[in-house]
Amino acid sequence: MTDDATRTLGKGSIPPGPVPEGIIRLYSMRFCPYAHRTRLVLRAKGIRHEVININLRNKPEWYFTKHPFGQIPVLENSKCQLIYESVIACEYLDDAYPGRKLYPYDPYERARQKMLLELFYKVPHLTKECLVALRCGRDCADLKLALRQEFCNLEEILGYQNTVFFGGDCISMIDYLFWPWFERLDVYGIADCVNHTPALRLWIAAMKQDPTVCSLLTDKNTFLGFLNLYFQNNPGAFDYGLSC
Amino acid sequence: MSGGTVRSLGKGSAPPGPVPEGLIRVYSMRFCPYAKRTLLVLRAKGIRHEVININLKNKPEWFFKKNPLGLVPVLETSLGQLVYESAITCEYLDEAYPEKKLLPGDPYEKACQKMVFESFSKVPSLMVSFLRKQNKEDCSDLKEELHKEFSKLEEILTNKKTTFFGGNSLSMIDYLIWPWFEWLEALELNEYVDHTPNLKLWMASMKNDPIVSSLPTDVKTLRGFFNLYLQNSPEACDYGL
Repeated sequence: MTDDATRTLGKGSIPPGPVPEGIIRLYSMRFCPYAHRTRLVLRAKGIRHEVININLRNKPEWYFTKHPFGQIPVLENSKCQLIYESVIACEYLDDAYPGRKLYPYDPYERARQKMLLELFYKVPHLTKECLVALRCGRDCADLKLALRQEFCNLEEILGYQNTVFFGGDCISMIDYLFWPWFERLDVYGIADCVNHTPALRLWIAAMKQDPTVCSLLTDKNTFLGFLNLYFQNNPGAFDYGLSC
Repeated sequence: MSGGTVRSLGKGSAPPGPVPEGLIRVYSMRFCPYAKRTLLVLRAKGIRHEVININLKNKPEWFFKKNPLGLVPVLETSLGQLVYESAITCEYLDEAYPEKKLLPGDPYEKACQKMVFESFSKVPSLMVSFLRKQNKEDCSDLKEELHKEFSKLEEILTNKKTTFFGGNSLSMIDYLIWPWFEWLEALELNEYVDHTPNLKLWMASMKNDPIVSSLPTDVKTLRGFFNLYLQNSPEACDYGL
């Protein structure tokens, strides 16, 4: 059981108090891939944190004081500073907290990871479109083809670098930034999109061995339960799988 | 500034040699606002560099080895390392050349600059849409959108109560968003900052900055470039030379 397994806060909920010193707060949702990035970084760096899950279909009024459009993830520290956009939040954590650095020290290697992230930008949208199409019974052959093409580009990078991970022989920030969408391929019904990309499959296997990734893996049935309720527009979706 | 070419290199041109030690090279185009970001940062940090302009309407084959997307700006070091995507090039320069830091050292302040950058993200494509539609079609939708985006930026300055987007001194975020504001006059959109007084003041302050004024963009030349660029002319990138 992960420490983010708490019931969501929705409309009419009492706004949470200030963040206690020594802790950082993450506004999140258990199944959101963008928030997943931030949770991975918090874990990987061993940062003491608390998670407040937000009901995205029934957002608390007070949440718009944390993010103008009510999006997640958002970090809030004990100085009331708010940081949003998942990539910005992850970089902030790497900068602000000591210990294990997830981005490389070398400026050129840092730039390389950021250029790799640019290569990835179509993947979230395409995976979501595939999911929606499949759930609505629509054909998604074109979408899957486009997704496979994106995966081929990533395959080429791994081939060219001849490394297991995207940042080298050890896991680093870029791998955590990519991971959430790959974890969801199976439950979204598009796992066959990596059939022609062996290096990417090896990367997926290596990622599943990482202790941080493992500690946050969501059980497939729980995820499916969430997706079923989500596509029925049930506001209870976000709390699926939590014991009362 | 040493070396480089002002006239752009196009198809059939000989690939440039390696970058001499002690220098960094930027592949650019005189009117590209993205490349302008990198040039501003190079100047602001006093980094010795050479500029090679690329004919974006007639790209040299060798340029795709520098950036598979064939876009400017691209940085090339004497070690043959290549960095592209304008915001990434700017951050790389700030990290690799430690003097005259443009990004704040404080992690939160740095994150704030990146959040402001996100707030700005719709402006470039809006400006390009304006450029393409000029005098041809009804622009009222675009105008409304631009007004909305400028109001967002105005709100940031109002809340911060500072002249610049990063505080009371000019810093990275100001250089990153400046190049599109240079287009306002050329596109006859100056009135769009009439409703945003802090933004208007910011523009005036930017124009007074020695680095910004060392790389001026002449309105007439820019308009000449726009005209040729919209016609896909291979002469566009060298207009005014």
